[in-house]
Amino acid sequence: MQTRASETLLRRTFLLGTIGGTTLGLIALDPRQAAAANVTLLETGSSLLYPLFNLWVPKYTAMHPGLRITTQSTGSGTGIAQAVSGVAQIGASDAYMSFGQLKKSPGILNIPLAISAQTVNYNVPGLNDKNLKLSGPVLAGIYGGKITKWNDPEIVKINAGLTLPDHGITPIHRTDGSGDTFIFTQYLSFSTPAWGNGVGYGTTVSWPPVQGGIGAIGNPGMVQACGQTPHSIAYIGVSFHDQIAKAGLGTAPLQNRAGNFVLPTPATVGAAAGALEGKTPPDERISLIYAPGANSYPIINYEYAIVNSKQASPEIAAAVRDFLTWAVDPSGGNAPEFLDAVKFLPLTPKIADLSKRQIAKIG
Amino acid sequence: MSVSQAALEFPRLRGRRIRTRIGWVLSVAAFVLVAAPLADILILVTVRGLSAISPELFLKATNGISGGLLNAIVGTFVLSGGALIIGVPIGVGAGIYLAEFGTGSFGNVVRFLSDVLTGIPSIVLGYFAYITMIIGLGWQFSALAGAITLAMMIVPYMARLTELSLRQVPLSLREAGYALGAPERKIVFRIVLPPAMPGVLTGALLALAISVGETAPLIYTAGWSNYVWNGKLTHEPIGFLTYVIWSFINQPFATAHALAFAAAFLVVLVVLVINVSARLVLFART
Amino acid sequence: MHAKPFRIGTVCLAALIPGMLIAVVLFLALYSWPAIQFNGVGFLFRTTWNLGNLYADPVMVRGMQVPIHAQYGILVFIVGTLATSAIALLIAIPVSLGVAIFIAEGAPPHLRPTLSLIVELLAVVPSVVYGLWGIAVLVPLIAHYIAPALNAVLGFIPFFAGGSPTGFGLLSASLVLTLMVVPIITATVYSALLQVARPDKEAAYALGAMKFEVAVRAMLPMVRGSIVGAVILGLGRALGETMAVLMVSGGAINYLPHTITTPISTMASFIVSQLDSAEQDPTGMAVRSLAEIALVLFIITVIVNVIARMITRGLHVGLASRA
Repeated sequence: MQTRASETLLRRTFLLGTIGGTTLGLIALDPRQAAAANVTLLETGSSLLYPLFNLWVPKYTAMHPGLRITTQSTGSGTGIAQAVSGVAQIGASDAYMSFGQLKKSPGILNIPLAISAQTVNYNVPGLNDKNLKLSGPVLAGIYGGKITKWNDPEIVKINAGLTLPDHGITPIHRTDGSGDTFIFTQYLSFSTPAWGNGVGYGTTVSWPPVQGGIGAIGNPGMVQACGQTPHSIAYIGVSFHDQIAKAGLGTAPLQNRAGNFVLPTPATVGAAAGALEGKTPPDERISLIYAPGANSYPIINYEYAIVNSKQASPEIAAAVRDFLTWAVDPSGGNAPEFLDAVKFLPLTPKIADLSKRQIAKIG
Repeated sequence: MSVSQAALEFPRLRGRRIRTRIGWVLSVAAFVLVAAPLADILILVTVRGLSAISPELFLKATNGISGGLLNAIVGTFVLSGGALIIGVPIGVGAGIYLAEFGTGSFGNVVRFLSDVLTGIPSIVLGYFAYITMIIGLGWQFSALAGAITLAMMIVPYMARLTELSLRQVPLSLREAGYALGAPERKIVFRIVLPPAMPGVLTGALLALAISVGETAPLIYTAGWSNYVWNGKLTHEPIGFLTYVIWSFINQPFATAHALAFAAAFLVVLVVLVINVSARLVLFART
Repeated sequence: MHAKPFRIGTVCLAALIPGMLIAVVLFLALYSWPAIQFNGVGFLFRTTWNLGNLYADPVMVRGMQVPIHAQYGILVFIVGTLATSAIALLIAIPVSLGVAIFIAEGAPPHLRPTLSLIVELLAVVPSVVYGLWGIAVLVPLIAHYIAPALNAVLGFIPFFAGGSPTGFGLLSASLVLTLMVVPIITATVYSALLQVARPDKEAAYALGAMKFEVAVRAMLPMVRGSIVGAVILGLGRALGETMAVLMVSGGAINYLPHTITTPISTMASFIVSQLDSAEQDPTGMAVRSLAEIALVLFIITVIVNVIARMITRGLHVGLASRA
């Protein structure tokens, strides 16, 4: 009695499974979905560049039937590693490759695609709408555990006219490896020698133990943690400007190399990019942090495509070349319709030109 | 019994009654403690994902930051289905061995290592698969590697839960079968397994839930694809719903967030549907 | 004896489990061997984890190429892993047993499928969603209500004294793990309770026991084997969980927790968060050290399982069958 029932059970399960599988199979094999592709490209890496790639790819592939591009957000390190190993054709990274990495894998191109920036945001009750000024050494002190209260003399010194609360600071950093950490810690390193020689910079750093300091995951995690924690401070990518505004966080004017406190605007970011345009070498590996200039915003960087100059086949190489050329062109990927949505800045003409020259080397 | 002895009984009875009442209250409280967060999670997911729920979700693939989830839905089915196809037979087979024949030292070793295997973080299995299958065997991102990794995760659960379930079946049933001269295969499949089916099914549904809900190992094995799976087991990445949850929630676009919660909603819905239909099929025979 | 194909078949399938485990462990051991040599035994007792300067030239230390300032120590993560798993199990075991008893014996029979479905739904929620819910709901709950309450009631014990915590920390990670472990234990124990033979239950009733006493005093001991097995599985899940813990634990690095609301990191979640940056290390020592963390976690899992088995043997568990 039981045995016949379990056979019926098995048969019914098998039937259900077959019906389900066939339905899915029919949907999946629908020619409209699985377009016969000539070339498939894989882009992976930086989570900062991911939103922009997701705006580019649908537009570009619509113009080029037969081309499939898949985008992934995995992190700059993975982007570099998979571009080097050939698993991905385009690796996205917020950091250029180091000498050590290049020595290990020669022939890898670091091609800037756009310019991004970062804001330092805080949540101090009553002061979120009054731009609380911060400098590199002050931030290094906060994240290093030396400056523990908002009314510390160092902070008061640069904020004459503001009443700062006698309350502990909760510094928030990124737990996951991230380009945001990379550029933030570069700012700390370049502006504060003690930090530069100590903790240094990287997509992950050995954060000094600070009473109450917490790590958050991803930029939205930073926004949320900062918004939920009074008297906290966080560094957040500029693409999240709308979320920052919605959470009611304050944005800090940062002290640049010339000593002035500037907010991130297209003008100040553009000033920094312009100041270092001339110093950018042909291989375009340069940090834009702490740029000179009276009006320069100190935390900006190139967003890189890491591409192997030797691709698997001429068709793939041509597809990558065409896509990247379109991406850096002001009438293509670098047009306002794409960059404004993520609050990036376009490459200056000279840099776009250098990028195009590097792209030509892909073969 | 004398009257005085009977009188002594009452306070103890009263104590037992009180303790029993407290016991039931506590167990109901435990249930509420567990059901409340669940309800909250489901409400959160439904409310935030509502704006993205539309028929389009099931008909189109992801289009960058918006669009549909067809590629992810198909991918999740393929990966979890593959994991179950590979993992359940191995797990149930191992569980049968452990329950029926595994009283010796080899059985103890397998049991022990099975429990240890559940403790290995999924990211480690994912990275192991990445080095051995994606790069070592040259499969690149592939559905097969993803399914195998998921299967590795669920086999120990299936094995142990099958074993525990089979162990609950009385020895007398087995002895009756042996006494009738039935071969071992028939005893297991016709006599011992059927009453243990609810437990095995529980194990399989748990395994399904675990494999549908995994993210980290699949990022390193299945990769991700913006396009619906074309049937290739290797050399072709495949999408899955949990990737959408993990990655899209980190984007600055509201459409992406809605899609992430819609994906979470779908994950729960898909497993719920399978859970319910499996029980219906099971109860159809009673 | 003639060969028994069925038995041999099941043996082969069962042998795949140790096979898989050995393959993974061998891989980890071989891959992390240079890191093991570089880090030494201090790896387990150092609290400092520093990937070093990945953008400067590597230096030669103790005969191996590593980045400048690179130092690897995982005491923080070992403590985080053990603490979260211990607290999670401490809460999950009584709660799961209570729920299982409630569904199996306390609730009306026609409600049982629905109630057990509710519990199994907890297992279905992806771990990322637990993380999202944790950040949105659990963390503020702890910051504003639970931690102050603990401070008020148990504040004389330093461990429970909290200042103004952010909510991200040991408690939130443990509670999230509890929610993920409960369905495993509950579903298994519930299944086992259903399979308890009627005559055994009736014998307990015949002795004059009340329903609750039958459930707790008579039935639970009968399914002792399932309970222990389920708890060990739940422990495995807790030790290996990554995503949800990653999002609510506060990502502590370089310091040990001193209260229940201090941020922590677990070994599994740390591997996930560091893997991407570790891949940028041209010497490869960072990824190998992560593999070493996985190896240490494996060894800890083995030790914990051995201890659990010793406890089991102490409870005299055998084949839970009745003639």
